[in-house]
Amino acid sequence: MEEQFRRRISENVLMIIIAPYAQKLRTGKENPKNYPYWKELIEIIDEPIVQVGVEGEKQLVPNFKKNLPISELCKLLHECKTWIGVDSFFQHLAWDEGVPGIVLWGPSDPLIWGHPENINLLKDRSCLVENQFIWWEATEHKKERFVKPQIVLKNLEE
Amino acid sequence: MSKVLCSVATRGRYFTTLPLVLNAIINQTRSPDKLIVFDDNDEPQDMRKEFIYQYFFQMLEHKGIEWEWQYADKKGQHHIHQRANMMGYDWIWRVDDDAVPEPNVLETLYSHIGEFVGAVGGSVLTPPYLPNTGSVTGSIDQIDNEPNIQWGKIERVKQVEHLHCTFLYRAGVHDYNLGLSRVAHREETLFTYGLHRKGYQVLAVPNAVTWHMKNPQGGIRSETRQEMFEHDEQIFKNVLKNRHHTIVVLNCGLGDHIVFSHVLPAIRNPLVFTCYPEVIPGKSIAEAFKLFGDIEPYNIYKKMDQWKWKNSLEDAYRKMYL
Repeated sequence: MEEQFRRRISENVLMIIIAPYAQKLRTGKENPKNYPYWKELIEIIDEPIVQVGVEGEKQLVPNFKKNLPISELCKLLHECKTWIGVDSFFQHLAWDEGVPGIVLWGPSDPLIWGHPENINLLKDRSCLVENQFIWWEATEHKKERFVKPQIVLKNLEE
Repeated sequence: MSKVLCSVATRGRYFTTLPLVLNAIINQTRSPDKLIVFDDNDEPQDMRKEFIYQYFFQMLEHKGIEWEWQYADKKGQHHIHQRANMMGYDWIWRVDDDAVPEPNVLETLYSHIGEFVGAVGGSVLTPPYLPNTGSVTGSIDQIDNEPNIQWGKIERVKQVEHLHCTFLYRAGVHDYNLGLSRVAHREETLFTYGLHRKGYQVLAVPNAVTWHMKNPQGGIRSETRQEMFEHDEQIFKNVLKNRHHTIVVLNCGLGDHIVFSHVLPAIRNPLVFTCYPEVIPGKSIAEAFKLFGDIEPYNIYKKMDQWKWKNSLEDAYRKMYL
């Protein structure tokens, strides 16, 4: 049992978790908080990646763990090197677990919805929507709100 | 100086007590900054065509009191008061359309406001009135056992837990319960008790007499359906039953629940209603709705918007619940 646990830790220890998507919108439109350059970012990360998310989300890497219970997500967080996500529940969970990571921000404000313990990558405060408290259905998804993958990689390597 | 909005909700009293009330408001020794009349009549009229009202509107302008006549949406006076509550004023002086204040009322009520004060009310007398309500506690526990302190001459300032009918209150810090029926039975009791629960002083003060000319005709509460009163009374009882708890309603996302978990330990005797019991244990949101009628006052996003919030979500929860 212990051996199995150790092996699992050693398998995951260099892994990076990605939590690529914010909650699906009721309108079916893309959530404006979703990072648009995951494909490009994954291509330049030279480390094993595990994706976490829920059924119905697009699979970006071979290792996609779907619908994990919170307890399993917590375990995974403690076993992996770091994580990259968007403004979704995962960043709160990681903060609660004391595991800092990288959050890729678009229209939502990290000063309100984020945690200073993380690396909060916001392109510019002018990219934020003025009203932070409306339903996100009312906000259009815009690629240009987000930082480019090279900036994420630079922060990952530091 | 703080800005005071005088709010009057009216129905069926265009030509009975409403003119007396407006005249009394116009002739206050301390004028409100604005008068707003919420017209909830089934067949609203353009009162600018009525000569007595034409005089009123001119008198208001002459005295430099801004005025507005709004046609209300017939949902009951709690909706009207909530609208006034959110209009951006510091204080609201709510006056019923059959409650005629003596000229010094607003000046007197205003003289008692302070940093920790949530509401100030004077006597609301209907002859023959109670000679003295000095022994009345004004405690919510005694609401079924004693008369309202405002029904008699108030001899000295007393801190109470609830007021009724007409009073001056701090705007934007507590919401009216919009889950009540159109009759809005107990709405002002629930509202002022809510201010008390939030730690604000609720004061009954002397030398501020309003004459309540209880008019059987018209009135914002002119509904006779017993089930509406029963519905509202049940909400009132549920609030009282749970009054020693801090009610927490988490009708929000999973991540918000996680953030809230850092605030929960500091909340006094919480009774939690939750969407994600696996993160924050508690009862269901449906149960909160059933018990209290209205859970919008617990909408954290709406509150953050209202507060023009710039700090963290965790701090917003602290402001809401601590």
